[in-house]
Amino acid sequence: MSDSTNPTQEPSRCEYTAAFIILRLFLGLRSFLEGLQKFESNGTYSFKNYYANMGHMAQGITGASFLPLWATRSFAHALGYLLLLLGAALILGVKTRATLVLTGLLYVALSFGLMAVEENEGVAWLAIYVSMIAGALALVRYNRFALWRD
Amino acid sequence: MPPLPSLSRRDFLATGAKLGAAIIAAPYIARAAASGGGGDTLNVALIGCGEEGRVLLNAALKIPNIRFVAVCDIWTYNRRFGERLLKKFGHDAKPYEDYREMLSATADLDAVIVATPDFMHAEHTNAALKAGKHVYCEKLMSNTVDGARSMVATARETGKLLQIGHQRRSNPRYIFAHDRLLGEAHILGRVTAASGQWNRAVTEDLGYPANQAVPEDVLHRYGYANMHEFRNWRWFKRYSGGVISDLGAHQIDILNWMLGANPASVMAGGGRDYYTNHEWYDNVTAIYEYPTATGTVRATYQVETTTSAGGGYHEYFMGDEGALKMSENPKYTKLYREARAPEWDGWIAKGLIERPGTGEGALPPVKPWEKQRPRLPGARSSTVDVRETAELSAWDIPVVLDKAIHQPHLENFFDAVRGKGRLNAPGEVGFATAVTVLRVNEAVAARKMLEFTPADFTA
Repeated sequence: MSDSTNPTQEPSRCEYTAAFIILRLFLGLRSFLEGLQKFESNGTYSFKNYYANMGHMAQGITGASFLPLWATRSFAHALGYLLLLLGAALILGVKTRATLVLTGLLYVALSFGLMAVEENEGVAWLAIYVSMIAGALALVRYNRFALWRD
Repeated sequence: MPPLPSLSRRDFLATGAKLGAAIIAAPYIARAAASGGGGDTLNVALIGCGEEGRVLLNAALKIPNIRFVAVCDIWTYNRRFGERLLKKFGHDAKPYEDYREMLSATADLDAVIVATPDFMHAEHTNAALKAGKHVYCEKLMSNTVDGARSMVATARETGKLLQIGHQRRSNPRYIFAHDRLLGEAHILGRVTAASGQWNRAVTEDLGYPANQAVPEDVLHRYGYANMHEFRNWRWFKRYSGGVISDLGAHQIDILNWMLGANPASVMAGGGRDYYTNHEWYDNVTAIYEYPTATGTVRATYQVETTTSAGGGYHEYFMGDEGALKMSENPKYTKLYREARAPEWDGWIAKGLIERPGTGEGALPPVKPWEKQRPRLPGARSSTVDVRETAELSAWDIPVVLDKAIHQPHLENFFDAVRGKGRLNAPGEVGFATAVTVLRVNEAVAARKMLEFTPADFTA
């Protein structure tokens, strides 16, 4: 008696490539625009606004948690630049594997701050991004259209 | 070391006597200082130490230069409560059962506060006025129009002041809304409708300690049938105008004041549908027609004593450009702008209104670490029907009363007694309100629309 099981159809390399590029672009845009927004206040973008916004964020987190101000301020002052840099790198495809790892670690660090102030909604959103980054790392071998390949 | 001053035996005795006198007099000196002292102090008596009397006492005790010298109540239990409360605050108030004795025996009495059941207001107020005292009388001015009219007449004859306890008229938020928002800014546009309500949940009848009951002969002497009616007089027709008077009077007075008119007609429905051991209606709904300077305004008023649903108690004035919801409770107070109205940002600059910081109309709370988000103009929630108009935007009034709600009205009364200002709710105002309120009960009984004439409101 012959085996009647239908053979499963594996996704083609092209489909994996498309899936990865969509993930890469989404995560890159999300990071880049999130970084950009940190320079905005009342519709204008400036470094002055950036340091005011980040100082406010650091004070807020420290005020509501056990984290010392020097730590939250150092992280907050670097956060916007890192998001812009990593976002641009993902969009352009610069060392994508390393960039994804760094972006994931940055989001975990951000989640740690939000966990410390029990901001569960924010943590849940970041968990979604972290999951997407994990998925992207599983597909990174299909990366194409990259400026500087791994 | 400098030499000590010599002190003879005579000097020692004289100094000791002075010190002793000062020590003995100290509590009295402190008491006078606590009550303000000086020639500006008013001597005040309270007739009626029940629920409302205690509210007024507690508010009046926060006002400087007021000295309570007498309290009067036919119930020993209440009288003692008032006397002891006053003693705690340094007032040596002499207790009386009979107001006549109190008025004749109390020298240098400047003013009397009347907080007795409505059916006694006219008798107590007229007697105090005739004795040469200024009177603050709780609302409703009287349970009968004739009683209220006699109070206005006596005040005129004696030249003494008569303030009726419509305390919202001295509330700075209400005054601000009346004078600035409606009077100066006409912020609501053309006011076309108004409503008011006081919805209160079921309450148990008031009881009394079994060993503290007033003897029957005393009750009968003062016009009460029995102890249950004495304690729950608000529900019985011989003592009160019922819920429309007890709760509605405050708010119907505000309809008259804010609309700047007395009504031309009223129709009403109501009944005793829930409580079986009361006489008065437990719910009343009335519709008034007000001929205002800018056109007719129809106003509904509802009082329920079986449910607190529907947003508690408030008065609501609705115009073609906005609406104003007023309440003694600031959390029920709000101002709304119709989408078609001119922008209100200019009124913010003038300090007339402000954007809500909390509650309805306020931005979602921003956590300390979050960036402030700009307010998006004209955001609309979902519209379920094409006939729906754009949602009203909510605004706040930048005035909140930071005292007991009766205190400013008592202050206004005492200031007027000292010749420093005019009464905010004189007898004539209270009379017009009493006419407006009491006609509702007639309309319920007649089951038809009743007309007013302007002469009805003149005492």
